Amino acid sequence: MALQTVLTQMQSGITYQVIGVDTQSVEYTDKLYKMGFVEGTPVELASAKIGDPIVVHIRGSRIALRKNEANQIRVEEL
Amino acid sequence: MHTVERIAIAGVPNCGKTTLFNSLTGARQKVGNWPGVTVEKIEGTFPLQKSRVELVDLPGTYNLSPDTEDQKVAELVIRNGEYDLILNVVDATNLSRNLYLTMDLKERTNQIIVLLNMLDVAEREGLEIDIEQLSEELGVPVIPVVAVDKVSVKKAVKCIERVVADLPVHDSHASTQEVLDTVKKYSHIDMICSRVARERKDRRENLTNKIDNIVMNRFAAIPLFLVAMFITFWFSIGLGSVFIDFFDILGGLVFMDIPERMLDAIGSPDWLTVMIAGGIGAGCQTVATFVPVVFFMFLALAILEDLGYMARVGVVADRFMRKIGLPGSAFIPMVVGFGCTVPAVMAARTLTTKRDRFMTIFMAPFMSCGARLPVYALFCTALFGAYSGLAVFLIYLSGLLMAILTGFFLKNTLFKGTPSHFVMDLPLYHAPRMGAVFKSAWLRLRSFIRRAGVIVVSAVFVLSILNSIGYEKGAISFGNEDSQSSVLAYAGKAISPVFVPMGISKENWPASVALFTGLFAKEAIVGTVNALYVSMEMIENGGAGKAAEKKEILDIGGSITEAFTTVGEGLVGVVSSFDLLGLSLIGEDQQTVSEEIGADNSVYVHIAAHFTVFSAFAYMLFVLMYFPCLAVIGAARQEMGGYYAAVMAIYSTLLAWSVATFFYQVTEGHNIFYIFISIVTLGFIYGWLHLLGKKEQGVRHKVVAPLPIVKKCT
Repeated sequence: MALQTVLTQMQSGITYQVIGVDTQSVEYTDKLYKMGFVEGTPVELASAKIGDPIVVHIRGSRIALRKNEANQIRVEEL
Repeated sequence: MHTVERIAIAGVPNCGKTTLFNSLTGARQKVGNWPGVTVEKIEGTFPLQKSRVELVDLPGTYNLSPDTEDQKVAELVIRNGEYDLILNVVDATNLSRNLYLTMDLKERTNQIIVLLNMLDVAEREGLEIDIEQLSEELGVPVIPVVAVDKVSVKKAVKCIERVVADLPVHDSHASTQEVLDTVKKYSHIDMICSRVARERKDRRENLTNKIDNIVMNRFAAIPLFLVAMFITFWFSIGLGSVFIDFFDILGGLVFMDIPERMLDAIGSPDWLTVMIAGGIGAGCQTVATFVPVVFFMFLALAILEDLGYMARVGVVADRFMRKIGLPGSAFIPMVVGFGCTVPAVMAARTLTTKRDRFMTIFMAPFMSCGARLPVYALFCTALFGAYSGLAVFLIYLSGLLMAILTGFFLKNTLFKGTPSHFVMDLPLYHAPRMGAVFKSAWLRLRSFIRRAGVIVVSAVFVLSILNSIGYEKGAISFGNEDSQSSVLAYAGKAISPVFVPMGISKENWPASVALFTGLFAKEAIVGTVNALYVSMEMIENGGAGKAAEKKEILDIGGSITEAFTTVGEGLVGVVSSFDLLGLSLIGEDQQTVSEEIGADNSVYVHIAAHFTVFSAFAYMLFVLMYFPCLAVIGAARQEMGGYYAAVMAIYSTLLAWSVATFFYQVTEGHNIFYIFISIVTLGFIYGWLHLLGKKEQGVRHKVVAPLPIVKKCT
């Protein structure tokens, strides 16, 4: 069983995969889905760290997300 | 044979869509707005199948169920089927993000050609793409292109001509497959990518990541951000204002002095000369003085955007901007606002949602602009002495507080609704393409002159005439500018009781008249106050109202030389000093200040006689906040429409009155009734915005439901 956590708790240098989005907001979920945060998509922390917002690599793009919003995205180690 | 007449280019942001559009159409472009929204519509033509076809650049969008104003336009255009063919530009370096839009497009129409852009970059990054396989998997033609390379674009056009002939029959409803949900689409895309793209294991960390490691470093981010903001400000305001006097003097010559002399020469009546030279001419001159700052601001923004830094600004500034309910990118308009509010209002365009844009525009005027500084300099020098610096600092600070207060007000009333979630795609860095950057700045400047110009010219026209027309002893006269006998002066005197609660006595009516001329540009307050106090003094001394008013000889050569000299002087000034706000004025002695701002020395005596420290501060607070100048309202109308521009004008004026009155009464007036009234006014503003917000929400629901589907039948 792979280690599960949320997007904001990811360690650098480890590749994770998205397993789900736990938000109440349909809008946010939809936005994340459209940006490619769907189940099974590999995601990792960008080397550039500013703190909050966090920057992740997903589907060849760099996406910035607010911490308090991104902690609703569940991931597990690949 | 299959013919196409109208083609739309679609693609995700930063896929090279606009570059391709420019390569295809060259200089043949026109900029307008999509109907009903303030989203730019850029059209052009290019030769295809031996005729010129229309081409339109759709706003960049990731999908066809988008949430921002720009992107909705793209969706609507494709839904309405106004175009015969969609050229879908796909960035080869990032297939999985780009193909989502392709999948969405395929659900709407079968008239699609994919243009695979940036294959060269992809190869350099160690990515190989099987184009034929991709075309087969997608079921649409795929043509490789390098958008920046003219030869490659020509070859692609030849390919398009061949391929168009083989496209299936146009049918926007017969989609090639059933509509998939997001997750299924992505799994389909993942499958396609795994089949067509081969990534070499050593795909190296690209330049963008390296730059981001520095620019978005925990410690370096904020200092670098401040440096970038300073350079932006220096560029748009510092460099822009070098040319302000140039445009002011030349504009005055071309639009006012020359027409005036010509009209005089052909013996036109006074009223006609006043209307044409003093009214329309003055309006054109006002617009002309804004040309340099607006142009340089658009240039600075275009460079930041093209560079890829704009998105990073949004990230770095997000942490403090979100507290007032705005995304980080709203920071830029605020910074620009300290220089000039007009480009600040226009800079709000870079924000994605309508709510964020409008809120930013409402807040921007509270950043005290450069034109308001001479007013502070005048009053501070007259009354605050050694404390001038502190007083001006407090005024700037009050402006910031008022902007934040406005943010809270609007967030809970007029622009209710959830603030947008922050999901920002950070594009690759690349060197700004100067050609494209200049073109974008020029096109936006042109649209500013056309659209904001109309309202500015007409408003200045009306005000100038009111300032010129006088009514004395039953006779109407002209040429009463800044004197006691103009209609504007009468209006100022009539309205002066309104300003009594903020410490301006009725005898001090020049101060209220100046608030009218301040509508042109706030620094005009200095000139009016100066002229009116002087003429008041003359009357008191029994002298004639207007002495020494002889028309100076028009010196065209001299004016032109002077105009060019200001550029030289300005450039030296901007390079040698970092005092962009002109703050060095504060704390200078009266002689120096009056020379700088063009006032008479005696004006300080009058100001000191008519104002107290507290009433002067209240007056400065009012000047800071009330009705932003006409050019700002013109720009706001262009960005938000007349309704919101009017709301903004009323809002800022009421707020200014309420705050100035409250301040004066608490510090000096001590009139409980007025304090009460000012608080009630504040409450009234809140209630009024609340009502407007409710009304607006009702309207919004109505509009969202039925969107007309217009199908072009040919």
